[in-house]
Amino acid sequence: MTRRRAWAFGALAFALLASAALEIGIGPVIIPFWHIPADTWAYFAGHRGLDAVVVGAIRWPRLVVAVLAGSALALSGAVLQAILRNPMADPGVIGVSSGGALGAVIAVSTGFAARTQVATPALAFAFGLAVAAIIYRLATSARRTDMYRLLLAGVALSSLCSAIITAILDLSPLEEMQQMMFWLFGGLDGSNWTEAATLAAVNALAMPVFLRLAFAYDILTTGEEHAEAVGVDVERIKRVSLAVAALIVAVAVSTTGVISFVGLIVPHILRRLMGPNHRPLLAASAMGGAVLLTLSDLVGRTAVQPAELNVGIVTSCLGVPFFLYLLYRQRRGRDAGL
Amino acid sequence: MIEIHHLHYHPILKDICAEFAPGEMVGLVGPNGAGKTTLLRAMAGVLRPTGGTVQVMGEPIHAREPRWRACRVAYLPQFVADDIPFTVREFVEMGRYSHAPSGVLGRADAAAVDDALAVMGLMGYQDTPLANLSGGERQRAAIARCLAQEAPILLLDEPIASLDIHYQLDILARLRALAGEGRLIIIALHHLELALAHCQRTVCLHRGRLVADGLPDEVFTPELLRAVFRVDARPFRDPHTGALRLSVSAAIPSTPE
Repeated sequence: MTRRRAWAFGALAFALLASAALEIGIGPVIIPFWHIPADTWAYFAGHRGLDAVVVGAIRWPRLVVAVLAGSALALSGAVLQAILRNPMADPGVIGVSSGGALGAVIAVSTGFAARTQVATPALAFAFGLAVAAIIYRLATSARRTDMYRLLLAGVALSSLCSAIITAILDLSPLEEMQQMMFWLFGGLDGSNWTEAATLAAVNALAMPVFLRLAFAYDILTTGEEHAEAVGVDVERIKRVSLAVAALIVAVAVSTTGVISFVGLIVPHILRRLMGPNHRPLLAASAMGGAVLLTLSDLVGRTAVQPAELNVGIVTSCLGVPFFLYLLYRQRRGRDAGL
Repeated sequence: MIEIHHLHYHPILKDICAEFAPGEMVGLVGPNGAGKTTLLRAMAGVLRPTGGTVQVMGEPIHAREPRWRACRVAYLPQFVADDIPFTVREFVEMGRYSHAPSGVLGRADAAAVDDALAVMGLMGYQDTPLANLSGGERQRAAIARCLAQEAPILLLDEPIASLDIHYQLDILARLRALAGEGRLIIIALHHLELALAHCQRTVCLHRGRLVADGLPDEVFTPELLRAVFRVDARPFRDPHTGALRLSVSAAIPSTPE
């Protein structure tokens, strides 16, 4: 491991610990950092004092969901950038986010959400995966997945989902509209241990799969034909990667709503620090996504107190300028003949 | 080692039949659009033909999985991107994928990579980013990646196109040495004189058909050069070196078909 990579991992670990401590400590009830272990222990030992409940029932699940959802989004972004060979790809391109948002909006507007709590995440999950499956189907012929067709199909179907969502919002009463907004802009309100456990399970499934394919992702950067020539089963790698990425993003979206740009920004920045090898890049992306989403949530919770900004608004505020900066740099590179 | 039976790839290749043995250095020639790249891709198994079969070491290559193929056939596509973000060693290590798909390389893998780098004269460039190499050095790195596969068959698609004469001769000499060790090397070439001078056997394609197959001086007849390459030319033996050369006097004007 190069010294630079070791430093980067050290910095990420420190940032993760620091952001976790801030996320648990800061809020309407301030918990001093040195009280966190004792309050956590007290909650799990069955004490129900204010600080113990705030830490154990509210802040810890929120932190764990932020860490795991951020990891899932950044990890899937890194994988999609590898298989699409496009550094501007993010989980939005496979339609899971827009499909998930549509599912959530339908759950609220049809009244399912009012009848049972699991209806909204369940429909968000189902629609997220369904839209991803349609996009994959449209991009695949003769058992080959055309990545450009996948991007185009993703843009088209995401636009269709957005149009339907706007129509539903237009026709919905104000109260339902507010509920829908939570899904459209993503939020970590009301995160609980069940959601954290589900996210942990899918992350635990996805990470080894992606790490196992990391060498193939490296080789794919040289071109699909070169990859096939050295024995990479390119179509299988794309299929497995898309399926697993769709699964973890669908679970993340069904838990937190749509959170944009984490999957774009994190791998992009970390590629500069970690180099092009995907094994360290994937591990670092998982950590970086966790840090970004935790800090974004902290900003959302504290920037306009006593109100809260949805975390998706904060990541978009960071992501859009970053995306434009990437486009600007790319244009400058082309203008300079680089 | 490779047996091709009535290979078709509609509409590019038509009824190709050929056999290639270990130790041969075969030049695959033909004008633009003759089907050289398509034939190499079909032989490497990365392109599924619409008819016929390609058997590699007795097995139909298209029925086998990519890693099996890569252990037997190393294929170098025509274009190597110039913005690959890896060092020379990392790039050559990719040739070990079929042996170590997880990317965790053992001693045997490291030895194979060292050998490949040494054969291509790149030991001193191991940690150099591939993007910093000249075109010739990058091409040598790409061939080294093929060698790292330790496959007995090398299929190279115009590996010396756009290189200066030094690198052209250098790479061909290294490939000839590899053929001398018993590997089968099939190399698509545009430069007919180099095919004539460096290949033991020449296979000529024209409009998707195999039109000549044999010793270079038997293949490059004035009639074939006129009909296939549309040039007035004849092979001759250089009085100083004894090597076969090609004397090209004029291009035959194109006529509307």
